Amino acid sequence: MPLSLATAPWGLLAGSMAIEANLTPLQGQGLSSIVFAGAAQLVAIGMLKGGAGVFSILLTTLLLTSQHLLYGMSMRSVISPLPGRWRIGLGFLLTDELFALTSQHDRQQFNRWYALGVGLTFYIAWNLFTLAGIVLGSSIPGLEHLGLDFSIAATFIALITPVVRNVPTVVCVAVSLFCSVLFSYWQWGSALVLSGLAGMTAGFVCNKLYRERT
Amino acid sequence: MIWAVIFGMGILVFLNRYVFLEPRLPVRLSSNARQFLGFAVPGMLTAICGPIVFMPDKQLNLQWDNPYLLSSLVAIGLVLYTRNTLLSMLLSMAVFFLLRWWL
Repeated sequence: MPLSLATAPWGLLAGSMAIEANLTPLQGQGLSSIVFAGAAQLVAIGMLKGGAGVFSILLTTLLLTSQHLLYGMSMRSVISPLPGRWRIGLGFLLTDELFALTSQHDRQQFNRWYALGVGLTFYIAWNLFTLAGIVLGSSIPGLEHLGLDFSIAATFIALITPVVRNVPTVVCVAVSLFCSVLFSYWQWGSALVLSGLAGMTAGFVCNKLYRERT
Repeated sequence: MIWAVIFGMGILVFLNRYVFLEPRLPVRLSSNARQFLGFAVPGMLTAICGPIVFMPDKQLNLQWDNPYLLSSLVAIGLVLYTRNTLLSMLLSMAVFFLLRWWL
């Protein structure tokens, strides 16, 4: 639950950047309440500001958020047997953070109410902080230069580090890290998902080799 | 025009999240696929962090005065030492803002 506090800087950033890019406050809030995807929102705002077309923004969104396909696939065994309302609700709330918190649960441990609670908490926190960002962004210029993006790195590092317990996971993280920096350096639009896949593949292959030897 | 972008993005993101949760979609996951997806958390989350930490301002920065890099190392150290996710997160953010102010 307290993890939702970590969305604060991102929400503030999303809100204040929207104002900076000359979106109306309602549009800024709409991004957070309808799209509800931090990275995609920030990139889209940047592109709107730069005068990019609708199509290129949508394509970038698709690539940037394609990690959710993987999340959906891996949560499939626990969520797809649920009734439609639950699937749509949890599907809408399936963020990086929710996935990180619930993905280790198998069918017995998975509690739909817990997932819904976590998801809604993130949703509400995200929107409240966006609102705060919109208000602050309208009154204090230059909020985006404060380095608020570190909070997301801090959150994810805190979530990843305890998971790294064996050699294949170390390989996975190392490959993913290296590729993400390299691909971003080359400015590939799909840098994120490609490097994630590269890391996952490396971990998977390493896991196979590791098991065969022992 | 901006509203069209917002709704378009909303639909795309939702479809990305929902498509594999739909039971009528005929997909069976093999044991290999499950193992592969087990690496999704470390793989994807690391990929999101990489550019934030190593490329602030879109420039590769491997210097020791990169506050993002230093604070990330502090964060890893704190998690390993305290085993407390929230505490490490908050402390490393405090370290980050101190470093930014100081460096």
